[in-house]
Amino acid sequence: MIGLKSTLNVIDNSGALLIECVNVLKQKVNNGWGGVGDEIVCVVKRARPLSAAVANSATAVKVRKGDVRRALIVRTKKIVRRPDGRLIRFDDNAAVLLNNKKEMLGTRIGGIVSADLRMKGWGKVVSLAPKAV
Amino acid sequence: MKVEIDSFSGFRIYPSKGRLFVRGDSKVFRFSTSKNESLFLQRKNPRKIAWTQAYRRMHKKGITEEVAKKRSRKTVKHQRGIVGADLAAIAARRNQSTQERLSARTAAIQKAKADKKAKEDKKEKTKPQRTAPSAPKVSKAQMKGSKGGR
Repeated sequence: MIGLKSTLNVIDNSGALLIECVNVLKQKVNNGWGGVGDEIVCVVKRARPLSAAVANSATAVKVRKGDVRRALIVRTKKIVRRPDGRLIRFDDNAAVLLNNKKEMLGTRIGGIVSADLRMKGWGKVVSLAPKAV
Repeated sequence: MKVEIDSFSGFRIYPSKGRLFVRGDSKVFRFSTSKNESLFLQRKNPRKIAWTQAYRRMHKKGITEEVAKKRSRKTVKHQRGIVGADLAAIAARRNQSTQERLSARTAAIQKAKADKKAKEDKKEKTKPQRTAPSAPKVSKAQMKGSKGGR
């Protein structure tokens, strides 16, 4: 249940550390709550310091504090129900950053993700993750 | 269909029952009821909670039906062949009767004596041959000396 002002940990290597949700992108409702597998618009609240080399290279993605980006929720503290009746809950809220074309900004994911992502069509993210439950 | 076991109490969790909790370090915990979950989150030690399997196992409750696993450990000795003496050779040597051994020993002794003798004979034969070639050497040196001496 991620909504306005909810903070999430970023678990990919895009450079951001903490993001704050600004809007939940769902088809009919553009507010309400976001869950695992939903896209959100977010603000980067804390980011890793950019080294000069990274800042100069054109290919590297530069994510700075204050950037407004899109993100995909991969873990929630709120329980998610699976079709077989299982209830799964994680210890924190986490997300990975995306660009406007639904592609990931980072190249690696450091942490466990929810396997619900696969059911919602984010198989690529699941394949990058070291573990999916 | 897999019946899981509760991470706290050891109860069986049938499908669609209970909850699954993934901790920050990616460790998975299963709880069959909210009671188990609550106690776990309060960081209670299951070994101290009397109705959990962990406690019962520790205090050996209700285990009289299971036979205590006490099997005497007997190390079985295996005969192994070594490089230079494979298993068959070892067995053959061991199974030799004393008579055979004695005869083998005397035969070996005889053989050794005969060999030694043959060697000595050989030596004597070669000795006179050796002195003959040395004679001309001496004479050559003498000759040289005489030449040099003049």
